[in-house]
Amino acid sequence: MILVVGLSHRTAPVQVRERLAAGADALPMVLARLASRRELGEAMFLSTCNRVEVVALVASSSSADAARHAIREELARQGGAASGEELAPYLYEKLGDDAVRHVFRVAASLDSMVLGEPQILGQVKDAYDAAIAAGTLKGTLARCMSRAFAVAKRVRSETDIGVGSVSISSVAVDLATRIFGDLSDRTVLLLGAGEMAEAAARSLVKGARALRICNRSFERAAHLAGEMHAAAVPWEGLAEELGVADVVVASTASTTYVVTRQMVQRAMRERKGRTLLFVDIAVPRNVEPTVHGIDNAYVFNVDDLEQEVARGLQARHGHVDAAEAIVQEQVAEFIAWRRGLEVQPTLVAMRAKARTVMLSELETSLRGRLKHLGEPDRAALAQMVESGVNKLLHAPTAKLKVRAAEGEDAAELAAAVRYLFDLQNAAPPAEEAGSEEGEAPSAGEDERLPN
Amino acid sequence: MTLALANWLFGVTAAVYLAASVLFVGDLLGHAGRGARWAPRLVAVGVPLHAAHIVVWSLVLHVCPVEGIHFALSVVSMFVCLAYVLARLRYRVDVVGAFVAPQALAFLLASRFLGSIGGEPRLRNAMLPFHVVSNVLGIALFAAACAFAVAYLLQEHRLKSKQLVDVERLPAVDALDLLEHRFLVAGFPLLTIGILTGTIWAREVESGGVAAMARAGLSYAAWLLIGTVLILRASAGWRGRRAAFGTILGFGLTMLVLAMYLARSLAGWGHV
Repeated sequence: MILVVGLSHRTAPVQVRERLAAGADALPMVLARLASRRELGEAMFLSTCNRVEVVALVASSSSADAARHAIREELARQGGAASGEELAPYLYEKLGDDAVRHVFRVAASLDSMVLGEPQILGQVKDAYDAAIAAGTLKGTLARCMSRAFAVAKRVRSETDIGVGSVSISSVAVDLATRIFGDLSDRTVLLLGAGEMAEAAARSLVKGARALRICNRSFERAAHLAGEMHAAAVPWEGLAEELGVADVVVASTASTTYVVTRQMVQRAMRERKGRTLLFVDIAVPRNVEPTVHGIDNAYVFNVDDLEQEVARGLQARHGHVDAAEAIVQEQVAEFIAWRRGLEVQPTLVAMRAKARTVMLSELETSLRGRLKHLGEPDRAALAQMVESGVNKLLHAPTAKLKVRAAEGEDAAELAAAVRYLFDLQNAAPPAEEAGSEEGEAPSAGEDERLPN
Repeated sequence: MTLALANWLFGVTAAVYLAASVLFVGDLLGHAGRGARWAPRLVAVGVPLHAAHIVVWSLVLHVCPVEGIHFALSVVSMFVCLAYVLARLRYRVDVVGAFVAPQALAFLLASRFLGSIGGEPRLRNAMLPFHVVSNVLGIALFAAACAFAVAYLLQEHRLKSKQLVDVERLPAVDALDLLEHRFLVAGFPLLTIGILTGTIWAREVESGGVAAMARAGLSYAAWLLIGTVLILRASAGWRGRRAAFGTILGFGLTMLVLAMYLARSLAGWGHV
């Protein structure tokens, strides 16, 4: 049975989340601690800026409480809390089918702060790889995670949940791309050193040739330039910079226009009409709005960008139902497969016992009254017994599998079969063993689950 | 058999261009869905079909493809599509096909149904192949430049009016402007050769009538206009909208010249 205990942007503020976060370096140690807990079978630790979760496999619902307690303790230790109870108000817990659904939704970015963002799948894959490397993921849970990756891929390819820009930074990059196409030979000028402009500039500069930072305080510009591998330019050189830059991200605290129509007209003459984009995210605005009327100059202010963000989010929310339907379908498929697996030891034991009993009786007869039979007749009799066992047990086998897949009273039926056939020594369903699946599937594997 | 093949190739090429046009325009208006991705491939398929049609049709009529206005129209439309296919290899300009495919279809149909090839002058002059080939290639490149100019104006209008939803459907304005300029630069020397050879050839064969003078005048005007667009871009930064309007106007003038040749052919005037 799968258990998820954790906290996310929905349940805990960043001050709490950041205490529990574990970077790639710390992950092996965290996983080693989880592996040392006997209450847990397999385990995976997922740590992103918006969520910290332990996904674990527990033997049964009766042992889930102990597993919950163990995970809380480990999370408390990770966050430097005195006890698991201290974190209790921020934690959520999902068990069984709910846990599988949660894992699939997280991987498909349906539980992300920014719906449909693509980074989460990579982060889940990293957590999966770390757990595989640490040996804490090998059976049922590994298969569940592998299935989650396939679900995420399906959601991304079959719905438009990931389309549209949903942050000021991504809209700024999108706009620049719509105007310039390739940014690799473009220069970005950061005007002012506000946080939002810095974020937008960081996104833009990933694909741009150069970043230049112009601020009233040259020291601040130089400091930021050092951090961002950019060039600092003096405030007095702003007019000349407009002749060089292709994208200007403005966010100064000035209460008057920093970039005027006249300045841009002059700059456009110097730059021989080359296109110039202003992303003005300052309030009050830094760039005179009439600049947008100059040929080959474009100005987009914070309202324009926020409208675009809202449109992107709205578009994504329009695809949630389709994505949830895919998740639901895949959860049902996985649960059916998992439940079928739960009755498997009973079925194997039942068939083995029937076969052993029948072959034993046949052996007795062949040594007694039927000892005159030749080898071909003995083989035919053995074949007949084999067929008889198969036909006799076909119906109970199939029905038990169906009931298990449908989530009906499979456990009770399996117990009844074990009682009626006197299979008390048969191995019970073992969650933590997970050995029937063999090796853990690879992260990108999209294997078919048997129903 | 050859005639049937020529007709079949014509029909298939026209059908391919038509299908591409419908998908492209649908995509531009936001109605084509996933089918739009087939439109550029249809144009790419149309080019060799079109080339085969020109070859077979010229064999049927025993006319060299560089002779006469009808073949010129057909060859122009094929080269416009070829220019688009080549540009698409490097730039994400798929949707510009919305301006290329209909143009190619119109030229192809005009080459077949407007007038008859027999009505054109059969001149034997050493300069004729240079004159026709350079003009045909030049006009094809201007047609491609015009398609990019129209796409540029549409995209620029959307950006200026901040219709960002629709902006996504067209390529980046700078890429459109650059390609328009490159096609113009490539076409201008060819047009220059066409003008020079035409000037010399015209002295020998043209009658000097009003129509011939008008054709020559319009050709010079187109050449001057396009040359001015190129010079102003380099010297005074006339990019973007101004260059796009200049390109469209220049191409319009070359089309007028072609239309006058076509009208002469339709009227069966011979060469006047």
